[in-house]
Amino acid sequence: MPAIVLRQVTKRFAGGPPAVRDLDLTIPDASFTTLLGPSGCGKTTTLRMIAGLELPTDGEIDIGERNVFSLAQGRSLAPAKRGLGLVFQSYALWPHLSVRQNIAFGLEVQKVNRAETKRRVEAVAESLQIDAYLERYTSELSGGQQQRVAIARVLVMRPDVLLLDEPLSNLDAKLRMDMRAELKRLHAETGATVIYVTHDQLEALTMSTHIALMRDGVLQQFAPPLELYAQPANRFAADFLGNPRINLLEGVVEAGAIVSHGLRVQVGGDGVLAARPGERLTIGLRAEELRLEREGGSGRAAVRILSVLPTGADWYYRVGLGDAVLTVRDDRHPDLREGEQVWLVAAPNPLKVFDEAGRSRTALSGRDAPAAAAQAPGPAPIERRESEREEARA
Amino acid sequence: MITAVRRFRLQLTPQRLFAALFLLVLGYLVVVPLGVMLQETFTVHPLERFQIPGAMTGDFTTAHWERTFVGPHSYAFFYRPLINTLIIALSLSLLALVIGGGLAWLVVRTNLPFKGLISNAAIIPYVMPSWTLALAWLTLFKNQRIGGQPGIFQAVTGIATPDWFAYGLFPITITLALHYFPFGFMLIGGAIRNIDAQLEESAELLGASRATILRRVVFPLVLPAIFSTFLLTFSKGLGTFGTPAFLGGPVREFVLSTSLYANLIGQRPGIGYIAAVVMIAMGVLVLYMDHRIIGARRSFVTISGKGARAGLVDLGRWRTPLAVLVLGFLFSVIAVPIGALAVDTVMLRPGIYNLQNFSLHYWIGEASLAIGLGTGEPGILRNSQLMGALGNTMRLAVVVALVCGVLGMLIGYTVVRLRGTLVSRLLDQLSFLPYLMPSIALGSIFLALFAIARGPIPSLYGTFWLLVIACTVSYLPYAVKAGVNAMMQIGPELEEAAIMSGASWFTRMRRVLFPLQKATYFSGMLLPFISVTRELSLLILLVTPANQLATTITLRYTDRGWYPYTNGMVLMLVIIVITSTIVSRRLMKTDLAKGLGG
Ligand SMILES: Nc1ncnc2c1ncn2[C@@H]1O[C@H](COP(=O)(O)OP(=O)(O)OP(=O)(O)O)[C@@H](O)[C@H]1O
Ligand SMILES: [Mg+2]
Repeated sequence: MPAIVLRQVTKRFAGGPPAVRDLDLTIPDASFTTLLGPSGCGKTTTLRMIAGLELPTDGEIDIGERNVFSLAQGRSLAPAKRGLGLVFQSYALWPHLSVRQNIAFGLEVQKVNRAETKRRVEAVAESLQIDAYLERYTSELSGGQQQRVAIARVLVMRPDVLLLDEPLSNLDAKLRMDMRAELKRLHAETGATVIYVTHDQLEALTMSTHIALMRDGVLQQFAPPLELYAQPANRFAADFLGNPRINLLEGVVEAGAIVSHGLRVQVGGDGVLAARPGERLTIGLRAEELRLEREGGSGRAAVRILSVLPTGADWYYRVGLGDAVLTVRDDRHPDLREGEQVWLVAAPNPLKVFDEAGRSRTALSGRDAPAAAAQAPGPAPIERRESEREEARA
Repeated sequence: MITAVRRFRLQLTPQRLFAALFLLVLGYLVVVPLGVMLQETFTVHPLERFQIPGAMTGDFTTAHWERTFVGPHSYAFFYRPLINTLIIALSLSLLALVIGGGLAWLVVRTNLPFKGLISNAAIIPYVMPSWTLALAWLTLFKNQRIGGQPGIFQAVTGIATPDWFAYGLFPITITLALHYFPFGFMLIGGAIRNIDAQLEESAELLGASRATILRRVVFPLVLPAIFSTFLLTFSKGLGTFGTPAFLGGPVREFVLSTSLYANLIGQRPGIGYIAAVVMIAMGVLVLYMDHRIIGARRSFVTISGKGARAGLVDLGRWRTPLAVLVLGFLFSVIAVPIGALAVDTVMLRPGIYNLQNFSLHYWIGEASLAIGLGTGEPGILRNSQLMGALGNTMRLAVVVALVCGVLGMLIGYTVVRLRGTLVSRLLDQLSFLPYLMPSIALGSIFLALFAIARGPIPSLYGTFWLLVIACTVSYLPYAVKAGVNAMMQIGPELEEAAIMSGASWFTRMRRVLFPLQKATYFSGMLLPFISVTRELSLLILLVTPANQLATTITLRYTDRGWYPYTNGMVLMLVIIVITSTIVSRRLMKTDLAKGLGG
């Protein structure tokens, strides 16, 4: 199954900033790649450009060995010739046709003979457990069943690439869990390359083999989920992934450590960080990388407990450190109360440090990520030269 | 440069190709005519040579404008018809509004009995030709002094009707109001039906009385529909031709449309074209008002429509008397006129209404100069001229309905798919433009445009295709409105899903878009069909003896006072339109209100 390559793809709609900007992305063969990002960041637009429903303003797109779009060569392959299937967020089932007719439509258009059509429709319906409803109209189905019909309609064409635009957003929480498993199964069974759009970071982390994180039309980082979580390429990526949100603490470099309100985080002095003493850096600390202790000690900072939030399995504490409020997770029951004063210990693993422009100093990949100041919303300035990008890739 | 060309080629989608095509065609059929018409008002026409000293045919002149506005006869030519037109349009709209709105409220919001019957019957006066009522009025109320023979009323009671009652502004206003009140019934009824009951209920919970709710909640929500109805009937009143021709002609009382016609086919075409320009200007004014007054308000009418229906008002003691009144009213505007026309066709000697005088001569009789009116014409059903004209009308109606249906669908598709672009807005507005032009003015435009060959386009005067083009342009606003409404109901993903399946544009139309909105598309075709069947004003200037239509030929019979033929023809047209309305409603779920696009 094919890899999908986007080169310098840009989409500009009339009267507005570009919806997608200079997108360079190689989606690996047979991967389950998620396009993730906040609303309006250009996920759907990217998907639709791959599908051929939207014409890029610039750039090139390859699917497998084939170039399907190239502005320079004036080529744009018709959507149906790209060998991909698209499941719409609204399902887009045709209400005047039965489930069977909906699924069979594409085969009929391609003039597949009747017996073959019937066989394939029934096979795919069975695999998605909707064979009992084939003669119904789509309005007579529940949301989850409609979802399956929408997927069946695409799978029956045996696409090499499956595009899904927020397919689960209209389902309730329980059905969503079931469908996630189902989609993973389909990915494994068909071996298709899946491109999945969502703005739900949990969905992205649990399902994907790769995540492309976008913001304001610009790719922020492309990495496997755990790498994205552990080594965000910039402050935006760190902030967007993880629940509860990552704690971002500003500190000053002092003798091999970053110090903030008395809290010391060892950074090893030299090497990757290349931090100069006195430099202001931001350190990212996830809730599970923090710990509360009753006794003070070196590197520990005094904090006051603002609130205690038990979830059943864990305890979350909101603590005040100077003027910052941090979230700490604990899986034991340390029996701490609101208002109490305790000591905070930080043990980041791995270390996540960002410079003043918001770029990571510590991430292994994505060093070419755009600067992203978490506090300053709006399009981040991007000034990358071709040579820089080549360097980073090497 | 090269990339620009390549990008252009990549962007050649069906909707873009259509947009270019339609802009070109509509530009020629809608914009050029306006220019031509203006030009005609400054041109010396053959017959006008003698009225303007020293002028040659084709010269530039401002004499028409001077004579129309400041000449010694300008009152008779222009101001009096203008005042008549405004009086008629204004009073007919108010009357139609009161009748239609009242009826709508009774049907939608009260426990009036026989609602189904009433709402079906209330549309019929609109589908009948507008001048059916005028002819029926004449048949019933004409007097011997002016009409030659007495009408049924005088024949039965012996009382001669006064002239002001039988002819002129009064009957014109009444009969037109009775023809157009269904607009109000459909549009206002739809608006009342769409009000979310929760809006009223929340007012009720706040302690508002019924009257307060009606005044403060219901009325403002229905107001846009009321304005729409008013302006729609008003602009119709400005342009209507048949009724004032029938009822005003005998007493030489003119309105703009009849004055336009008289001047155009008479010796003063220049003045006729000026009347047309004035009528269009008034149409634009009406639209501008519509835009100013309703534009902003219209939006909140469409928000509602989901909530529960409000409880019905109990009419109590008034239930039965009101039902009798409404049914009696509908009976007298539908059955009585049709009955009067029917009776008139089977009375051998005019003006004598008794059984001895009964005869089917005017339906199936031989041509004779001695029997009855002694017209020398065979009865309607064996009269090849009349039957030929009827056949022509049917042919035209079917062709125009199909052309309008297809165009409406394609333009609707283009407008919706390119939404937000300049092209889309332009196309939408171009196809709406004919709506502003009173049909007689539009007819005169097409006369001016196609009377001679212009460039590659041949003279179409006297051909069937000129009639097709004129009707298509005239009804395009309705067809496009239906097409746009239909497309708006269909999300773009439904088409995109078919694109992903590899369906060609044609397949998508045939298998997805059209079936999804069949009823709306058919409604968009029904209106042109009915309209052609009863069209008079648009085509009166364009037909030639070789391609007469059922409506235009009846006018010639009326001119000679041969009313039984006229009435017989009208009767057949009425039967055709009512049958086709009912049948298509049953078979294809058409809804005329949809075609009107309230
Ligand atoms: N047809 C269009 N015309 C103009 N602007 C558009 C169009 N489609 C999308 N946009 C704009 O492009 C930007 C990206 O839109 P897109 O739909 O790709 O976002 P998204 O990431 O899918 O968001 P969501 O999570 O809300 O679906 C938005 O600012 C949007 O307003
Ligand atoms: Mg989206």
